[in-house]
Amino acid sequence: MASRRLFLAGMAGALAAPSIARASGPMTAAIYPGTWDEAYREVVAPLLRQRHNVNVAFEPLFAVDQVAKVRAARGVAPFDCFVLDPGPAAAARQAGLFEPIDPKLITNAGKLPDGMLIADSATVNVQVVGICYNPKKFPEPPKSWADLFRSPYVERLGLTGFQTTFGTVSLIEMAKVFGGSITNVEPIFAKLREVLPKVAAVSTPAALPGLFQQGQIDIMYTNTNNAATLKARGVDIAFVAPSEGAITFATTLHIVKGAENKANAHRYIDVALSADAQSKLQLSPFNMIPVNKDVQLTPNLDIKSLDELSKMVTHDWNVINPRRAAWIDRFNREITK
Amino acid sequence: MRAAAVDWRLAAPLGIVYLALFAAPLLLLLGISLHVDQDLQQWGLDNWTKFWGDAFYRGVVWDTLRLGVAAVLATSLFAWPLAVFFCNASPRTQKILIFIILLPLLTSVVIRTFAWIVILAREGLVNQVVLSLGLSATPLRLLQTETGLILALMQIEMPLMLLPLISVMRGLDPNLLDASRALGAGMWRGFFRVILPLSLPGWIAGATLVFASACTAFISQSVIGGARLVYLPSLIWQQAMVVYDWPFAAVCSVTLLLTVLAGIMMLNWLGRYARTD
Repeated sequence: MASRRLFLAGMAGALAAPSIARASGPMTAAIYPGTWDEAYREVVAPLLRQRHNVNVAFEPLFAVDQVAKVRAARGVAPFDCFVLDPGPAAAARQAGLFEPIDPKLITNAGKLPDGMLIADSATVNVQVVGICYNPKKFPEPPKSWADLFRSPYVERLGLTGFQTTFGTVSLIEMAKVFGGSITNVEPIFAKLREVLPKVAAVSTPAALPGLFQQGQIDIMYTNTNNAATLKARGVDIAFVAPSEGAITFATTLHIVKGAENKANAHRYIDVALSADAQSKLQLSPFNMIPVNKDVQLTPNLDIKSLDELSKMVTHDWNVINPRRAAWIDRFNREITK
Repeated sequence: MRAAAVDWRLAAPLGIVYLALFAAPLLLLLGISLHVDQDLQQWGLDNWTKFWGDAFYRGVVWDTLRLGVAAVLATSLFAWPLAVFFCNASPRTQKILIFIILLPLLTSVVIRTFAWIVILAREGLVNQVVLSLGLSATPLRLLQTETGLILALMQIEMPLMLLPLISVMRGLDPNLLDASRALGAGMWRGFFRVILPLSLPGWIAGATLVFASACTAFISQSVIGGARLVYLPSLIWQQAMVVYDWPFAAVCSVTLLLTVLAGIMMLNWLGRYARTD
């Protein structure tokens, strides 16, 4: 009898444990695994505890996984804050997964360039996408998107598809070079068919940095964060903006619809936007391009000032999202051996 | 009768857990696959006909099963000789061998997989040896090929094949091999006529594990195989997590489950013959 009671008590404990763990951190934020996870644990979490006595628990999830999880929860917010790229953000907005952000609660609102804090979204960092190459193998870097498909570059190129934000926008820009547009990526598929036998690798996005480090590929298109991270590890890598212009997109924080801890979520966003946090997040090994105008940019970022961003290429993800599934499917079919 | 009733109740807790955590989600998965739209409002077989009516997707199923078979053949080729060697080795050597055999299981799958990048890459271990020995003028292409993937899977899945094989072969009566030798059978004949048939139950257990595990090895398939080799697991991930087409992802998942299950059942069926010798 006693053992049964013990067993029941144990069961109750096991069932209660998750809710206890959830209550002890007065808020939960989804965060990208890897660099973002490390960066926010090290920089943002201590600042948040110090300033507001808020303990944030992080849940490492990629953008698409965050959206999938909130959609799957059907109304019960599994965490309080999203961190998203523009594609998943547009999809989440369309699905009505955001809570409005009250600008009065964001003390750093005035420090941001125009348009970075809107009704349901706060830009916390921008990414810049261009071409990365190995300067030891190629003293003369590729100059344009079109160069990637010419010898000797194409033989050392690592290709990746439409699964990621940086992959999608890069392929759109390449399509434009060969006569396409954001709605017509046909030219890049034609070009891919032509060069596939020659390219060094076609890879999943997550495997690209490893392939570059191991010398399987010497050229790839990716963001400056990846370039800086590899460089800090001693890999021969340099970033170059293609002549058509580098691509930029925002990484944004959002409050999840029906979030349990809305007030703390606002505090979290505010701290992440503060000059204190942003000036630390831009340093190696995090290399995140800051958006707070009070922050002096460091040289590891490959951009000199936030003004450069306005000249870079941006994309409307409301146009991309409805087409992306077909592009991914098409990419699968055309590249399969 | 009474004993049977007790047996039933003893199995009930695990049975209920299986029912709740295993059968129910599978039924849910099947239910999702029978929807037409992404919001799961409308029922229909559209996604099933889309999947099976398309040569590309049928090709993906075929490639996935072929990869499983290739992994079973590759592990078998090396596991049998190694198991024979193991059973004839001294206890001390056996201890060292068991450690080496278990080593792949003791490291995380991600680390194992990335280690294979270091080995197979253009400037990797294999190519350095090949180039320095002058066996080839240009680096061999090993990474992102099916050959490279099978090679890596062979090492990663080897313990799953070796352990059941060894445990069965250890139980074999050594006198049987001696008897076959006394009757004039050579080493090869002894292996094929005595060891191989008797160790078949172990091989079937190992082959089942390797087949199921190789068909579903998402990380190895996507990292070593690269994006040009499309297998069902990466297709499921892509459809569910990038495209958000859950009904179609469910069709892929149920297909993977059923085809792998069919392979396992065939091995089981083979096992029935092995045991009635």
